[in-house]
Amino acid sequence: MRTFTKLTATAALILGASLQVQAQSGYFAGKSIDVIVPFGTGGATFVSAKFLEPYFEKHLPGNPQINVIDRPGGGSILGANWFEQNAKADGTTILFTTSSTANPFVLGQKGVEYRLADYRVAYSHPFSGVAYVAPSTGVKSAKDIRNSKTPLLYGGIAAAASDLPGLLSFEVLDLDVRSVLGFNGRGPVRLAFEQGELNIDYQFTPVYLTQVKPMVEAGKAVPVWTGGAMQNGVLKARDPIAPELPSVYEVYEQLNGKAPSGIEWEAFQGIASVTYAYGLTAYMHPDTPQEVLDLFAKAAEAINNDPEFQAESKRVTNGARLNAGPETEAVIKAALKPSDAVKTYLRDLLGNKYGVKF
Amino acid sequence: MMLDHALTALDALFDPTRLLALFAGMVVGMIFGMLPGLGGVAAVSILLPFIYYLDAYSGLAMLLGAVSVVYTSDTITSVLLGAPGSPASAPTAIEGHALAKEGQAARALGVGFLASMVGGLVGSLVLLFAIPVAGPIVLMLSTPELFMFALVGLFFASSMIGKDLAKGLAAACLGLLLGVVGPAQAAADFRYTFGQVYLLDGFSLTIVALGLFGVAEVISMLASGGGISQSRIEVASWRDGFIDFWRHRWLVFRASLIGVLGGFVPAVGASASTWVAYGHAIRSAKDRSRFGKGEIRGIAASEGANNATVISDLVPTLLFSVPGGPAAAIFLGALFSFGYYPGPRMITQSPDLMFLIVWSVALTSVVGALICFAITPALARLTRIPFAIIAAPLVLIMVVGAYQSTSTMGDIFMLFALGGLGWLMKHGGWPRAPALVGFVLSGPMEQYFWLTNQIHGWSWLMRPGVLIIGSIIVIPLVLSAYRWVRARQQTMNGVVEDVPPPPSETSTSSLGLACVLACLVAVMFVYALWEMMSFNPTSRLMPALAIIPGLPLALWLVIRGVREFQNDFATDGAELKILAALIVYAISVWAIGLTAPTLVLIGWMLWGRAEMRLWTGALYGAVVFAIVWLLFDLLRGDAPSGALISLF
Repeated sequence: MRTFTKLTATAALILGASLQVQAQSGYFAGKSIDVIVPFGTGGATFVSAKFLEPYFEKHLPGNPQINVIDRPGGGSILGANWFEQNAKADGTTILFTTSSTANPFVLGQKGVEYRLADYRVAYSHPFSGVAYVAPSTGVKSAKDIRNSKTPLLYGGIAAAASDLPGLLSFEVLDLDVRSVLGFNGRGPVRLAFEQGELNIDYQFTPVYLTQVKPMVEAGKAVPVWTGGAMQNGVLKARDPIAPELPSVYEVYEQLNGKAPSGIEWEAFQGIASVTYAYGLTAYMHPDTPQEVLDLFAKAAEAINNDPEFQAESKRVTNGARLNAGPETEAVIKAALKPSDAVKTYLRDLLGNKYGVKF
Repeated sequence: MMLDHALTALDALFDPTRLLALFAGMVVGMIFGMLPGLGGVAAVSILLPFIYYLDAYSGLAMLLGAVSVVYTSDTITSVLLGAPGSPASAPTAIEGHALAKEGQAARALGVGFLASMVGGLVGSLVLLFAIPVAGPIVLMLSTPELFMFALVGLFFASSMIGKDLAKGLAAACLGLLLGVVGPAQAAADFRYTFGQVYLLDGFSLTIVALGLFGVAEVISMLASGGGISQSRIEVASWRDGFIDFWRHRWLVFRASLIGVLGGFVPAVGASASTWVAYGHAIRSAKDRSRFGKGEIRGIAASEGANNATVISDLVPTLLFSVPGGPAAAIFLGALFSFGYYPGPRMITQSPDLMFLIVWSVALTSVVGALICFAITPALARLTRIPFAIIAAPLVLIMVVGAYQSTSTMGDIFMLFALGGLGWLMKHGGWPRAPALVGFVLSGPMEQYFWLTNQIHGWSWLMRPGVLIIGSIIVIPLVLSAYRWVRARQQTMNGVVEDVPPPPSETSTSSLGLACVLACLVAVMFVYALWEMMSFNPTSRLMPALAIIPGLPLALWLVIRGVREFQNDFATDGAELKILAALIVYAISVWAIGLTAPTLVLIGWMLWGRAEMRLWTGALYGAVVFAIVWLLFDLLRGDAPSGALISLF
């Protein structure tokens, strides 16, 4: 699908649509940018990349053609490895991915060839998560969570992938949650929750808004907390997308009367910040010049101020905004290089509790 | 109220641009359906960039047009060439191609198209009427019920074992074993991945289906050489097809319902329900002797089912945002992009869209089948050309199709490695259908068993849904046990009933190759057993289910193979050379990139095998090469470049 340009030109001819060619000068004039998504075409990451595509085409200098390319396989490792081998250093190849790519890197899993922590961070799109429970648990809000009437049962895909932050949040809050891993995706998990097979679940915000909200309104689900948002380097703020819900940090404070600390919290904050606060991150080749990153930071700001983007984003993600710039990059890079203590904790937890082999 | 929306939607669809989009999508879907290895997913992903230039209704109509004809047009390839046009038409390839070889292609195709059409229409009807009520049905199908469905599938599949019980069961075990490669469902084990990232997701269904069935057929085609193939395929009259279709209309209808149910279950693709429907056709037949040798009922059932499945895949997609299958997943992505968020509110929020979907699907099902009827005579004439000439583009299109899975060399290696396995099975007298069924069902069976047991303990056995589905297995068993007892009594009374032999694939098996295959499979099972010991206990269940019966069976086949061994490799010598050539091709693509080896392969196939004249061969070869490049370009962008030296 490299040839979206060619294809779309043909499409325009065939279908009689007019392709707006804005001849402009600028760094990206006449260039095309490949956005590599290491997941399938129907997935959330792909859809999100397609959602952002027209805005970057509009706001990057020179109006480059953006091609979103899917390279699924190996739980996103294949696509990221491909990026490692083929990315150009001029900002025209982007790896747009989630914590599913970051976690195997952080944990040092086999088969990982990409040096994620060396990559430059162009921009990121928050993709927060909301936890909710079944009414049968008797839990009305986060503070009742330890008094659930029924044993808590969580469904997930695999411990070392995108379920990791959710599972770590249970560790932080010291909850007795039994997890059943092995589902195909978060969609089937949600279905199992609706069927009454599971009673606690995490969903990413866009899905929460469109799929879980109706359940909440029908009295079939009770939202309890969100992953939280970054505030001065701590994952404590309320998520602007669901400001009515407390963050995991707040819930801990409420339950224990003190701020969270210790290895569990450190591990959760590291993994969760990459997953939620910087959910979908666009990485670039390590040698990409700063000039290009600045252009992307400026474009991200312009997009955030674009009324059309604001309206669409309000509808889809309840107003999530793009993050970019040195501060964003610093936080993400820090999270990708956890301390040895955190690494050991994670590997022990995954190895002992979830049977993950390294 | 409902009729109102239905008419508004129909009116909206009859807008010229939308109709054009729908039919443009349909044409793409038909072409991709015919190309082996490329199916709904490829068609939809190639259309995806175009739809963003259209309004929401036109864009979605375009995708739906493509989705709903893939399983109609793939019948053509399956019947005429014997290589499945898409994985879910493997049963059609078995039965239909056998009929085509007997000169009954028209009959097979006629039934196939009509069954596909009915499947499509039943699917659309279900969408139309079920959308308001399907929600509770989907919600009733929790993990225990899904596990029971997988069991029913396996039970039906047992009818495909064939007359050589040991070989059939060993093939099924081999399929189960192939299915457990990759991530384990229950614990964080990666099984049999040999440290290769490529295998982390397991085998792709497309590659397994193409490898086991497609490559072996192509090899025979190439071996037939430049001479006109022994069997000309005529498409003379559709009459027989219509008569057969009418005779089996209820079977088609039942198969469509099986397909619809398969679609309700998220992530169980058309392949599984097609095999279940095929198994149902076998079980419900009085005379099973023709299954595997060209049985029209097999085609009627599988074509009715696969089309119904892709369409009812849209039910969970639209109601719960959980895609029913891979093509539905892409469709879901497109819905998101147009700002539609399927879910419980969808029916009340956008009723027109729901009806637009129903109409699009119904319309293309009918028009698609009609077009298939119209173009088939012309396509059938193509098969009068020596098969070796058709094989050249076919093998390359299969490479492109396989390469869609991950776009790495692994796809191409795996295609030919499994192709070698499929070829050995074909010539060693092992039925390939049970292997494919085992592969398809092994994933869902393990997953749902594990989830069920984790969530419910053993209490799930008493769930009403489980009992109802379980009766599908138990009742036929009781009935056949009763019949068996009665038959025995009658035999004792001196009445001899003709006991129908179970089905089998036609093959003249080579004793030498049977021995080689048995040894190979035995080694695989021994290794699998050894590696299994290192898994977490919960990850061992499914491999054990394959190995515990598989290993003794394979060893028994080795003993049998050695005892019956004959040095008859020479009979298949020509085909063996072609297999070797294809493997050399795969290795050289890896080493020096796609271009040079492909040109050499085309040259060898056309001049060497098909014995074409110098200039016609060159011209035709150039066209084939151009098409292959175009496909690579359209679908993926970058063809494999050499790992050692990159010769462009």
